[in-house]
Amino acid sequence: MTRWLRSDAGLEYVGDSANYVRAILNILADFNEEKERLHETQRAILNILDDSAEEKARLGDTQRAILNILEDSTSEKTRLEETQRAILNILDDSAEEKARLGDAQRAVLNILDDFDIEKKKVEQFNVELRSEIAERKRIEEDLRQTKAATDAVNKELEAFSYSVSHDLRAPLRAIDGFSHALLEDYVDRLDKQGRDYLQRVRAATQRMAQLIDDMLKLSRVTRAEVSREEVDLSVLAQEIIAELNRVQPDRKVEFAIASELKARGDSRLLRIALENLLSNAFKFTRPHPKARIEFGVMEKDGKPVYFVRDDGVGFDMAYVDKLFGAFQRLHDTREFPGTGIGLAIVQRVIYKHGGKVWAEGEVEKGATFYLSLL
Amino acid sequence: MGDKIILLVEDNPDDVELTIRALKKSNILNDVTVARDGAEALDYFFGKGKYAGRDMTIMPAVTLLDLKLPKVGGLEVLQRIRSEERTKLLPVVILTSSKEEQDLIKGYKLGANSYIRKPVDFNQFIEAVRQLGLYWLLLNEAPPA
Repeated sequence: MTRWLRSDAGLEYVGDSANYVRAILNILADFNEEKERLHETQRAILNILDDSAEEKARLGDTQRAILNILEDSTSEKTRLEETQRAILNILDDSAEEKARLGDAQRAVLNILDDFDIEKKKVEQFNVELRSEIAERKRIEEDLRQTKAATDAVNKELEAFSYSVSHDLRAPLRAIDGFSHALLEDYVDRLDKQGRDYLQRVRAATQRMAQLIDDMLKLSRVTRAEVSREEVDLSVLAQEIIAELNRVQPDRKVEFAIASELKARGDSRLLRIALENLLSNAFKFTRPHPKARIEFGVMEKDGKPVYFVRDDGVGFDMAYVDKLFGAFQRLHDTREFPGTGIGLAIVQRVIYKHGGKVWAEGEVEKGATFYLSLL
Repeated sequence: MGDKIILLVEDNPDDVELTIRALKKSNILNDVTVARDGAEALDYFFGKGKYAGRDMTIMPAVTLLDLKLPKVGGLEVLQRIRSEERTKLLPVVILTSSKEEQDLIKGYKLGANSYIRKPVDFNQFIEAVRQLGLYWLLLNEAPPA
């Protein structure tokens, strides 16, 4: 057998013709083998190519899928963006809302602040109120105690004046009565001076009796409960004047009484006060042949001030402080009889009404007495 | 005025003396029985104590009653005699020093027939007693016994 050896120079003849044919057949066989291998290789390549195509298709699919995904992602993104915008919008709105809420909250806080302030004020007020109530209770208690004390004093005063009224007068009656008996039954044994002394004893007992009576009058006014009713002072004054004129008809006194002078007070006590003022005016104008007595009203600080004015002997303003004192007198008893209780009674009546009383005067030019009631 | 009796209820001996003197000065010569306190006055009215067994047909034509008396006060005496049948109509004149409003009101409420305040001035006292005697012993008709 001839062999062709494969070398780098190609095929190399290595035998004879038979050999040659065999050689060619061999070559052909080799060629077929080679062809087969080529086919295989081709198939392999084709396979690979097929695989590659599949792969490519898959890649395409994948790409499409990715593209789809990307598309989806885009729309998703859009949606996300929209959502985001929406959220942003919402957030924007929310911010406004928040701002508004903030305003509202501030307003509410302000209100709460105000409320707090108000509450503190109320608390403060309550504290003040409580202390005021406590203070009032204390004052009420004080008043109650004072009233109890006053009542006790009044009761004592009542017992005292009863005793004065009854017991102090009895010895005076005896002094006067037996002086009288001496003057009657023993007149022949007494000389002129003896009789004069007894007359003096009697006069003194009369004066003391008058003082006792006036003290009782003052104490009665002090103890009196003040009632409040409408009182026509003009009518009271007219009645008092009628009585003064009746008792002393020879006097020439012109009375000027304002009409319709109404006041709220105790008519009985106010009558006593007016009686004293008008009879004083009547008494202290006596030395003047003609006199004028006026009862009227004027206004002071929006309140009525009543006055009794006369053009009598008047008084020295230096002694005005003594005028209203009990048993104080600015004039001679012989010229102007009295114990000096009248103006003290007037003052007490007016004080009991919560009012004021004061006077103005000038010697020989008259006096004016002013009184205000509560 | 004859046999009419005056009962004077008075604790102050000076006042007793002066009242009797004033009655005499006014020519009122009736018998005056004096009770020195309220209890004695009640004894007289009801025939008890020192007046036990007295002639109870004789009752005072007028009683002059002081208010401030020891033991039993004048107002209580008045109340007692006004609550008894045989003494309730007897004329009683309160004769006292007091001019206290409360005494006047209580006195009249309890049935006093009159109320006179004893004046300090004896001349006025004589005049008061004179009028009083004249009225109650002469003018006034006493209630039937």
